[in-house]
Amino acid sequence: MTKVLGKKELESWLNSIMQERILVAPKRVDDLVLFTPVHSVDEIAFDFQNTTLSPKELFFPRTETLFTIVHKDGEIEFTPVTVDRETVLFGIRPCDARGIAILDGPYLSDPPDSLWAQHRDKTTLIGLACAKPAPQCFCTSMGSSPTDTSNVDILLTEVDDGYAVEIVTEKGEKLLQGAELKESDVKPSVPQCDASVPAEGIVDAVKRAFEDPYWSRLADRCIHCNICAYVCPTCYCFDIRDYKAGGKIERIRTWESCQSKGFSRIAGGYDPRANKGSRLRQRFCHKLLYFPEQFGPLGCVGCGRCVTACPVNIDIREIISDIQERGAQVGQRSN
Amino acid sequence: MVKEATEPTNVNPFVPYPATLKDVTDLTPDVKLFTVVLDRAEDEFDYKPGQFAFVSAFGVGEAPFGLTSVAHRKEGLQFAIRRVGTVTNTLHQLEPGTKLGVRGPFGNFFPLDDYKGKNIFIVGGGIGFAPLRPVVNTLLDRRKDYGNILILNAARSPQDLCFRSECDDWGKAPNTKVELTVDAGDENWKGRVALAPDVVEELKPSPDNAISIICGPPIMIRFTLQRLKKLGFGDEQIVTTLEGKMKCGLGKCFRCNVGEIYVCRDGPVFTFEQISQFIEQF
Ligand code: SF4
Ligand code: SF4
Ligand code: FES
Repeated sequence: MTKVLGKKELESWLNSIMQERILVAPKRVDDLVLFTPVHSVDEIAFDFQNTTLSPKELFFPRTETLFTIVHKDGEIEFTPVTVDRETVLFGIRPCDARGIAILDGPYLSDPPDSLWAQHRDKTTLIGLACAKPAPQCFCTSMGSSPTDTSNVDILLTEVDDGYAVEIVTEKGEKLLQGAELKESDVKPSVPQCDASVPAEGIVDAVKRAFEDPYWSRLADRCIHCNICAYVCPTCYCFDIRDYKAGGKIERIRTWESCQSKGFSRIAGGYDPRANKGSRLRQRFCHKLLYFPEQFGPLGCVGCGRCVTACPVNIDIREIISDIQERGAQVGQRSN
Repeated sequence: MVKEATEPTNVNPFVPYPATLKDVTDLTPDVKLFTVVLDRAEDEFDYKPGQFAFVSAFGVGEAPFGLTSVAHRKEGLQFAIRRVGTVTNTLHQLEPGTKLGVRGPFGNFFPLDDYKGKNIFIVGGGIGFAPLRPVVNTLLDRRKDYGNILILNAARSPQDLCFRSECDDWGKAPNTKVELTVDAGDENWKGRVALAPDVVEELKPSPDNAISIICGPPIMIRFTLQRLKKLGFGDEQIVTTLEGKMKCGLGKCFRCNVGEIYVCRDGPVFTFEQISQFIEQF
């Protein structure tokens, strides 16, 4: 038997959630779909393939104050920012949920990033399985699937008369208390997503193809717009700076992209990645080599956002298969 | 990969220790030595030669600097800082008494205990001598644990030599020799005028039972390395500290990587044997 939440029941459940917590859900804004705090179920977009931007900014905001600095009686005082409000993130796709989960690797490793930990702790994830993956999606190639429950608290899958409900964690169970679930014998369909991107063994292939001129040739057309990092659920590099406003100083962190020019430039001006090839290689080696070596999973979840966003069609799916080929060639040469 | 329930932690690792600037002295026209004291006794930390810390100038930002003092001498935290960017420009204008922030210590260190009984050859160029000063001071404080110590302090010009007066004192220690050299002298300079790598070749330190520690501009490192290898030093006998863009020091911002290595956590101290294994070469 499957637990099912009818459309009406879903509405009243979401309404009750909104009373106590911040509900963040996909919302249409012009021709974009963005995760936005909503105050009524009408605002929520249900018929989207995936949001234009990833939900990472709920956990790792574009600009986030780490702490404030106040000078007081000749002393300095620091007030760390804390996350107090409980948030429910409705409609996160399995690929994006995996993206958040893998970033626990760097952010929760010792010493844990307290803000990330608090955002994670205070947020409950209601996943929405993909009924129809988009053409650019390839989550199944990257170890997830359109109905993957592993990284959400609750997973909803659309069925005829509502949503099939899978309760994954205790947090999810708590949130569902009071929701009117019924038992049904519907079987949610299991859609397929592109599983043909040859990610298996990519770590070794990237290692072997590290010195390949491929990277520089590909980078020739990159215009450093940084949109790939902006839309990516797993890009997590940041900058830290001070911001002064009204007698108060805030130390803030902001997103930063390895494709921007000064990313690795050290004081005094020397930039070890001044050329475009080494910067583009940094992006893909971080995701396909360094991240898995340090934390286990690949640093790409196959959401396909960078594939559609890149103005010059730099396509990670293509890169993965090209590198497999080139890595194999190097492997043969050195054998 | 079901996520673990995360322990919320309110210990924000980005918050620095409150500190006060105690003293500023000129080392060269663009390098100053800052002595900083932590405001709260409970924040005091132990650290080793090679480690670094972030210093905050509030309202401007923070930047990483090698600790150039030695912990056991308890003279406060010292940093030799060259004026090169926004944060360092601000620091150079500060007066003693100014409130600062310190976050650290970070990184690994020179394994001086492992070098006991060995002859040590130290080459520093310009501000590159800053992380070497605590090495020298530690070695000299335990002078009998080590063999011969030969120090080469190099700079572009006489006025760019860091820690010049300390060099005179170091040279008075037993079996310790200090050589100075400059790329170009001036009217008062009676010492050596030669590039550091050439002086290395001339000094001919023996690689037997020896360790060489070299820090300085990339070009000096490159040629000094060549000469040391010609003298018979193996990659595993030559040690340096790497510089990297660093924003966190915590293995999170991923700004400092060289290939799979985090300079902030795995480094900054590496042997050239280790460096030669990195997948990415700068
Ligand atoms: S690299 Fe591209 S496809 Fe992979 S997770 Fe990031 S945005 Fe999605
Ligand atoms: S989106 Fe494309 S063009 Fe823009 S920085 Fe990324 S790879 Fe380069
Ligand atoms: S300085 Fe941030 S990861 Fe090393």
